[in-house]
Amino acid sequence: MRKVAKRTRRFLLRFWRGLREWCGDAAYESYLRSKAVHGASCRTLNEAEFYVEQLNRRYSRPNRCC
Amino acid sequence: MKRILSSVAWLAIALLGAGALGAIAIHRGEPLNAMWFVIAALCCYLVAFRLYSAFVAAKVLALDDTRATPAERHDDGRDFVPTNKWVLFGHHFAAIAGPGPLVGPTLAAQFGYLPGTLWLIAGAAFGGCVQDFVILFCSIRRDGKSLGQMAREEVSERGGFIAQLAVLAIMVILLAVIALVVVNALKSSPWATFTLAMTIPIALLLGVYLRFVRPGRVLEASIMGVALIIFVVVAGQWVADSPYWSHVFTLSGLGLTAAIIIYGFSASALPVWLLLAPRDYLSAFIKAGAIFSLAAGILLVRPQVLMPPLTRFIDGTGPVFAGKIFPFCFITIACGAVSGFHSLISSGTTPKMILREGHARFIGYGAMLLESFVGVMAMVAACAMTPGVYFAINSPPSIVGATADAGAATISSWGYPLQPETMTNLAHAVGEITLWNRAGGAPSLAVGMAQIFSNTIGGPRLLSIWYHFAIMFEALFILTVLDAGTRVGRFMVQELGGRIWAPFGRRGWMPGILLSSAIIVAMWGYFLYQGVIDPLGGINSLWPLFGIGNQLLAAVALVVATTILLKMGRLRWIWVTLVPTVWLVIVTMTASYQKIFDPSPRLGFLANANELAQQIAAGKIAAAKMVDTQRLIFNLRLDAAVTAIFACMVLVLVVEAIFQWYSILSRRREAILHESPYIATRWAKDFSGAAHDAAVGDAMGDD
Repeated sequence: MRKVAKRTRRFLLRFWRGLREWCGDAAYESYLRSKAVHGASCRTLNEAEFYVEQLNRRYSRPNRCC
Repeated sequence: MKRILSSVAWLAIALLGAGALGAIAIHRGEPLNAMWFVIAALCCYLVAFRLYSAFVAAKVLALDDTRATPAERHDDGRDFVPTNKWVLFGHHFAAIAGPGPLVGPTLAAQFGYLPGTLWLIAGAAFGGCVQDFVILFCSIRRDGKSLGQMAREEVSERGGFIAQLAVLAIMVILLAVIALVVVNALKSSPWATFTLAMTIPIALLLGVYLRFVRPGRVLEASIMGVALIIFVVVAGQWVADSPYWSHVFTLSGLGLTAAIIIYGFSASALPVWLLLAPRDYLSAFIKAGAIFSLAAGILLVRPQVLMPPLTRFIDGTGPVFAGKIFPFCFITIACGAVSGFHSLISSGTTPKMILREGHARFIGYGAMLLESFVGVMAMVAACAMTPGVYFAINSPPSIVGATADAGAATISSWGYPLQPETMTNLAHAVGEITLWNRAGGAPSLAVGMAQIFSNTIGGPRLLSIWYHFAIMFEALFILTVLDAGTRVGRFMVQELGGRIWAPFGRRGWMPGILLSSAIIVAMWGYFLYQGVIDPLGGINSLWPLFGIGNQLLAAVALVVATTILLKMGRLRWIWVTLVPTVWLVIVTMTASYQKIFDPSPRLGFLANANELAQQIAAGKIAAAKMVDTQRLIFNLRLDAAVTAIFACMVLVLVVEAIFQWYSILSRRREAILHESPYIATRWAKDFSGAAHDAAVGDAMGDD
């Protein structure tokens, strides 16, 4: 029973993490993580700046199909 | 033992699929249950994924999981982000699934359920999925380059330029035709118009919230937005019941055209965070919910399919659109089977986010299979209504007659019995003034969906709510494609204009933004206007034009893919992309020729223009209608010219490619591949996310 509960919890956690990644909630966290690992020289954007910059990039190329 | 069991299970799935397909194909007489369609489609998809996509992955493309993908090599947390394959599958599917797989099969139902269903399944398995998968692979091997860039490098400079021009031209037609679908869905419908109009302030509200209050918190904002949208769908009924507000939100076709053009311009020129992006978030959630609900509804209700397998209109005399089953069934069902536009997504965001090459099969091939399944469900929803009702909703008044009595008599004379009261009662039940002559596919699909949903939850009492929810769902994500497409089109116009006058190409220069937005909106707006005033309903001329354009773009993508396979030395397996290419070229060239030169005025643009010109010359056109008729003649000739330009662009690219292939095969030219050099992945072969978690944190889920 405990095993089932543990598995369910793990599944729900993964689902939640996937949902946040899918809808873009986790985008800033990914950006910060990537920055920390690769240590790019340019200034780190704050959350609001990153949000706008990310949208401008995303909607400047075909991203929705017919 | 395990292997034997697996083989037996796959054999059982294959036999079940073959049996269900056989039942669909040979069944005559009594209505068929929709479950046969679901079983046939699912079994065929499973077998195609298990066998054909595995063959393409292993033999044709030789996917290499030891090779670092662009997401690993260029990981910047912005464009290049290593992403879990399930999450990326969701991203990719949300990007490729638009109104096409819903509207196309609904329109093609005029031939009966059989041809469309077979093409949806076979076309996806052997054409559309292969195209998406191979282009995704090619782009991964080239650092996520776009289709145009790959065409330029692997085929020729001219090929790349043609591909870019084709994308712009097809985008203009696409935006016009989907806007026309919205106009026909909202025409004279205060409830639907109010609901859709309210999505704009809701999106603006979310935009401000996401920008200033809680930056980037998409999930919570979307939940609020969806709740507000459900509220306005219900509130629309009060608007429709109020004499004053009902009058305010009752717009004619031309009124809606003006509103959509103003909206498109605003969405393109305003900051993206304010209107476009929040609307896209709402659309993505509602799209996922509605598609899932439709699948669940079909499984629960298991409706009877009332449309016959083949109708009399396979001879080309169909009221929804003119043209014989070949080639127009394959042109009309564009996105559910093969869609050239998908190649722009497969060579856009997805290749930059893929974790490893092996995932390309699941994401590229698998997402397209799911889109095809959406098309099959749309076909079921359209065919589950009485054929007479289907034709009444989708036929223009110039064919069935302007009054309910005349329409019912005409449709009954075709062998699909219909009483005028049936349409009156149905319109009343769904909360509309009328359902006659609502060509475009959206209203008939909404009726089909509403019948399925109301049989699941709420019964006939909720039919009107479900109908308007379905209309809102279709219109919402059509407008999302419209505004996102207008913005991308604006950038293309700016890029082209920047070659002539440099400041015009600067993306942040406000006069350039306004002018380029006006140009792209004027381009699709003109075709939209032309469709709205077309006496044949607009869909008759514009949807085939869009279908031809979309399939031609698919041919462009497959030509590029074939060239790359040839350069990779996969001559033995070249048929994997070559056969769909040849098929698409034959289909689109035949359709283009017929749309331009067919002697029937309903089918051929030039014949229709000439007929009208003769009527003017013979003095048969009243003076009051002279200007409109002359405009109609101009529009028909313009459509013929656009079709000819599409066909010529693709012919030039095909000739360029054949010359390349000949040069390579005859060893006159060296086969130079423009792949990125091999770099071994840092992640182990049996990567499960742990290695990446260690390297860049704990973002990834299991593989």
